[in-house]
Amino acid sequence: MIASTLITGLGLGAMYGLLALGFHVTYAVSKTVNFSQGSSMMFGAVMGYTFGVTLGWPMPLAILAALTCCAVLGLAIERFVVRPFVQRGSDLWLMATVAAGIMLENIVLFTFGKEPRSLPSGWADEAIEVFGAGAYPLQLAIPVVGVGIALLLTLVQTRTKIGKAMLATVQRPDAARLVGVNTRTVIAASFAISTVFAGIAGLLIAPLFNVSASMGTIFGIKAFAAAILGGITSAWGVVIAGVLYGCIEALTTAYLGSSYTQIVSFSMVILVLVTVPNGLFGTAGLKRV
Amino acid sequence: MILSLRSRLSRMVKDPRVAIATIALLTLVSIILATQIGGYFVFILALMAINLCVGVGLNILLGLSGQISFGHVGFFLIGAYAVGIATLAGWSFWIALPMATLLGAVTGGLLALPALRVSGPYLAMMTIAFAFIVEHGAIEWRDLTGGQNGLMGFPVPEAFGRVFFEMEMAILAILFAGLSLVLYHVLARGHWGLAMRAVSDSEVAAQSVGIDPLRVKTLAFVLSAALAALAGGLFTPLQGFISPGSFPFFQSILFLLAVVVGGSRTLLGPVLGVLVTVLLPELLSGLAEYRLLFFGGLMLGVLLAAPRGIMGLLQRVLIVEDPKTAVASGMPLSELVGRQGAEVDLAVSNLSISFGGVRAAQDVSFTAEPGRITSIIGPNGAGKTTVLNMVGGFYVPDSGTIRLDHDLAGKTAWAAARAGIARTYQTTQLFEQLSVIDNLLTADRAGALGMPFGPPPSDAARSRAEGLLAFVGYDGPLDREAAALPHVDRRLVEIARALATRPRVLLLDEPAAGLSQSDKEQLALLLRQIAEVGIAVVLVEHDMGLVMGVSDDILVLDAGTPIAHGTPVAVRNDPAVLRAYLGDNDYPGRPRTAPWTGERVAVLGAHKLVAGYGAAPVLQQIDISVDPAETVAILGANGAGKSTLMRALAGLHRPVEGSVLLDDAEISGTEAHEIAAHGLALVPEGRQVFPELSVRDNILLGAFTRKDLDADREIEALLTRFPRLRDRIDMPAGVLSGGEQQMLAVARGLIAKPRILLLDEPSLGLAPAMVRELFDTLADLRDEGVTILLVDQMATLALAISDRAYVLENGEVVKTGTASDLSRDTDVEQAYLGAAE
Repeated sequence: MIASTLITGLGLGAMYGLLALGFHVTYAVSKTVNFSQGSSMMFGAVMGYTFGVTLGWPMPLAILAALTCCAVLGLAIERFVVRPFVQRGSDLWLMATVAAGIMLENIVLFTFGKEPRSLPSGWADEAIEVFGAGAYPLQLAIPVVGVGIALLLTLVQTRTKIGKAMLATVQRPDAARLVGVNTRTVIAASFAISTVFAGIAGLLIAPLFNVSASMGTIFGIKAFAAAILGGITSAWGVVIAGVLYGCIEALTTAYLGSSYTQIVSFSMVILVLVTVPNGLFGTAGLKRV
Repeated sequence: MILSLRSRLSRMVKDPRVAIATIALLTLVSIILATQIGGYFVFILALMAINLCVGVGLNILLGLSGQISFGHVGFFLIGAYAVGIATLAGWSFWIALPMATLLGAVTGGLLALPALRVSGPYLAMMTIAFAFIVEHGAIEWRDLTGGQNGLMGFPVPEAFGRVFFEMEMAILAILFAGLSLVLYHVLARGHWGLAMRAVSDSEVAAQSVGIDPLRVKTLAFVLSAALAALAGGLFTPLQGFISPGSFPFFQSILFLLAVVVGGSRTLLGPVLGVLVTVLLPELLSGLAEYRLLFFGGLMLGVLLAAPRGIMGLLQRVLIVEDPKTAVASGMPLSELVGRQGAEVDLAVSNLSISFGGVRAAQDVSFTAEPGRITSIIGPNGAGKTTVLNMVGGFYVPDSGTIRLDHDLAGKTAWAAARAGIARTYQTTQLFEQLSVIDNLLTADRAGALGMPFGPPPSDAARSRAEGLLAFVGYDGPLDREAAALPHVDRRLVEIARALATRPRVLLLDEPAAGLSQSDKEQLALLLRQIAEVGIAVVLVEHDMGLVMGVSDDILVLDAGTPIAHGTPVAVRNDPAVLRAYLGDNDYPGRPRTAPWTGERVAVLGAHKLVAGYGAAPVLQQIDISVDPAETVAILGANGAGKSTLMRALAGLHRPVEGSVLLDDAEISGTEAHEIAAHGLALVPEGRQVFPELSVRDNILLGAFTRKDLDADREIEALLTRFPRLRDRIDMPAGVLSGGEQQMLAVARGLIAKPRILLLDEPSLGLAPAMVRELFDTLADLRDEGVTILLVDQMATLALAISDRAYVLENGEVVKTGTASDLSRDTDVEQAYLGAAE
C-alpha cells in the first residue's frame, strides 16, 4: 500500500516539480510568472496526441514537434501577454496570463474536442512489480525524467556559456548587459524553457491520465503552490517542494480519502506562507527606499 | 464650445450629488424592471444585482487598495451556505443574512492578516488556496453541507406580509446592490478610501504620511469579503438549491473580470461589468459554448488596451482637468503646519546598522534642533540615506536610539510619521494616480483615519492643503494627476505633502537633485522658512553650494562613520573632510613619464549629449572625446551627472539626445549589449560582479561577445596582472573583498579586449592600500596603451594618472584641460565642496 502510494506520489510530485521549475525559471530572470503553465502542460499533451496519434507521426518526432509548439507558445506569451505590462511597470500580467490560459484552454476545447482521449504508450501497458506494488514502467520513469531535467537545467546553467549568461542576468542584469548579454532574449528564452518544461510534464502524464482541454488547470495551480511552497527563488527548492507536495497528496488520498487531498495540501500552503513567507528554501531581497 | 461642454460635464460627473442621484435612478429603474418584465429575466436581473454586490466589494479591494484575490468565490460560498444552513435550522432569513455577512467579514479578516503580509503572486496563491479549501470543505463536511448533493428546500423569506419569491428577491438584491454602490461612493471619497488609493500607489509613501498599510488593506479585504458573503446569502433563497458545484473556482475569475472590464476604481465600472458577465451571455445564449473563450479574450484585450476598463477609458476621454490652482489661505506657515506640543530636539545617538556583514552606519549621533537646518553630507556610499531610513523607520537599527519625546528606534515608518517625523525621497514618491490636492489630503490626518464611512476631507483641510501648495510655490492645477507633473513640481508637492502631516522633524533626501540653479535658490529659501516656524530640518544633499549656504550644522559621514561635525565653515576647512571628498593625499599616484602625444582621432566622442530622468535633464549638451591610448578623467561633485554620463555612453541609460560616436559608429540609440560587442567595456559603479558565479566564470563572461578567445592563456595573463585573484579563481565572486571584486570587475572588462575601458568610481569604498594597488594597475594599463575614461571621486589621484580631464557641474562641462593644469586649479576643489564664506 505505502509503496504504491509513494510511487504515485513521486510521479505526480515530479510533474509538479517540473512545472514549478518553469515558474522558477521565469521568475528568476524577470520577476514574472506565466500563470497559464497548466494550460501549457495541456497544450504539450494535446499537440503530442495530435502529431503522434491523429497524424500518425513517429512518437519521437511527435514529441519534438509538440515541444517546439510549446516553446513558440512561451515566446508568444512573453511577447504579447507579459512584456507589454512589464514595460509600463504594471503587475497586471498576473491576470493577463490567467486570461491567456483560459483562452488557450477553450481554443483547444473547440479544435481538439471535448472528450478526453488516452495517449497510448508502450510504457503504460503492463504493470510490473516493485516493492510488492504494481506500477507501470512509465510511473517509475516519470520521477527519473523529472529529476533528470532539473539536473540538466543545473548543468546547462553552470557549464555552458548561454547558461552562465542566464545566471548572470538573474544576479546582475545591468552588468550582464555590459558584457554583451541581450537580457531581453534571455527573458524570452526563459518563458520558452518554462513552457517546454510544462509540455514535457504533459507528455509524460498523458498516457496515465487522459488527454483533454481541461487537464491542466488544477495541475498548474498545484504546481504554483509547490513553487511558492519551495520558495520560488530556489530551483532545487521548488523541485523538492513539488515532490513533497505530490507525496503528501498521495498519502492524504490513500489514508484520509481523495476529498481531503485539496483541503490538506492547500492548508499546508497557507500554513507555510504564514510561518515562512518566502517559502521553505527561498530568500528575500533587501527593501530599498 | 466643446471644451466648455466637456468641462461642465466633468464638473457634473465629479459632483457627489450626481453620483448619488445616478445610483438612486439606476436602483429605481431596476426595481421597476423587476416588477414589470416578469419571467426568466427577473431571475437574471436578481443575479446581476447579486454579482454587482460582489463586484463592488472587489472594486474596493482591487480598485481602491490595489490587492488581488482569486478566492472571492470562497466568501460567496460561505455566505450562501450560512444562510442555507441557518434557515433550514429554523432561523429567520432576516437574521441569517446579516449573520452570514458577518461570518464573511470575520473569515475575511482571519485570512487577510496573514495573506496581506505578502503580495503579488504570493497573495494570489493564498486566495486560490482559500477558495479550494472552502470548496472542498463544503464537499467534505457532509453533516452540515449535504456534501456533493448540496442543500435545498429552504423556507421562503417573508416580510411586510409578502412572500419573497423571485420578484421580491430581485428587488431585495437590487436594493442591496444600490446600497453597496452608495457605500463604495462614501468610502472612496472619505479618508479611508483616500488612504486605500494611497497604499495602492506606494506603500512606502503611505507609511511616511502615517498610514499603516496593513490596516488599510485589511479593511478593504474585510469589506470585500463581507459584500461577497452578503451576495452569497441573497443567492441561496433566489436559487433554491446550492451545492459545491454552484461555486466553481472559475467563478472567482468571472467576479474579477466584471470589475476589470467595467473599470476598477470607478463607481459604475462594476455595473457595466455585470452587464458583460451576466447579461451578455444570456442574450447570446446561442453562443454559450464560446462564453469562456470570449471572456478570456475580452479580459486580455481590456487589460492590454484599457487597464482602467471601459469606464476608466470613458473618463479619460470625456473628463477634462479642472484648471483651478491653489489659493493662498492667508494663514501664516506656522498655523498651516501647526502642531500641538512642546518643541523638542530630535536626538539620534550611536545608531549602527550592518547589511550582510557590511557596516552601513556606525555610531552615528547628531541632534536636530527645532528651527535649525542640520545637514548630513559625505561621499557616495557614506551611509547618508541609510541613516535617514533608520530615523524614518524603514530600517531597524542594530543599536542606538532615536529620541523625539520617546525612543523611536525600531518603530515602523508610519509610527515615526505619527510621532512627527516627515520625509521626502531621493526619487520622489508621490501617489502617482492621485491628484495633487489628494496627495496632500492623504497626509491631513497623519494616519488617524476615523470611521471608515466618515465624511470626506473638510473644507478646512482643503484650504490648508491649498495654502501649503501655494507656500511651496506649486502653481499648477490642483486636479492634476501626480504622474503628469514635471520634475520640479514633484519635488515641491512632495515637500508640501510632508508638511501636511504637521511634522516636528522634516527629513529631506536630496531635494535639489535635478533642479536648476534658480529652482535651487527657491528651495534654499523654502527650507529656511520651514525651519523658522520651529521645524527641525534634516537635509541630505549632494549640492554643496546649497548645503554650505543653508545649513546651521553639518554632520559629515564617510563609509558609515561620522568624521566631522560643526558649522559649514569649520567643516569646509576640515582636512579629514577634504580627504574624504578629494582622496587621500598621502599617495600621489603615478603620472606618465612622458606626456601623451597621440593622434587626435577620437575613439569615443559625445556631442551635445542630453540625458535625464523623466522630465528632468541630468546631462545638458555634453561634449567630450577620448583619443586612442589616452587616459581621460571626468571630475565633479556627487550628483554632477558623472555616473549618468557613463551609463549613457555604455547604453544603460536610454533614451538620450545628441550623438555618441564609438569608432565613428553612432551608438546613441544602440542598446548596452550591442555597444559592449562594439568594443566599449564599462566597469560599473559598485563593481557589479556576478556574486554566485566563480571568479573564472566572471572573467569569462567578460569575453561573452568574443569569438577568438584563448581562454587559458588570457586568464593566465590576467592572473599575473591581478595576483590576488589567483588563489580565489574557483570561489564565488560574492565572497571576495571589495578590493578583490574591483580587480575582478576590471579583469572582466579587460578580457573583452575593448577599444575603450570606462571605469565608474573604481576606488569607492576601498581601503587606502587597495586604492593604491588599483591606481598603479590603471597606470600600468595606461602605459601599455589601453584607452581609458575614468570617473572617480578621488580627484587628485584621478588627475595624477590622467592625461586630460573634464569637470562637470550640474550636468554641464564647466572646465576642461590637461590633467596637470587642472590639478593646480582651485576651482576644482570648489566644484567638489562648494564655497563657504
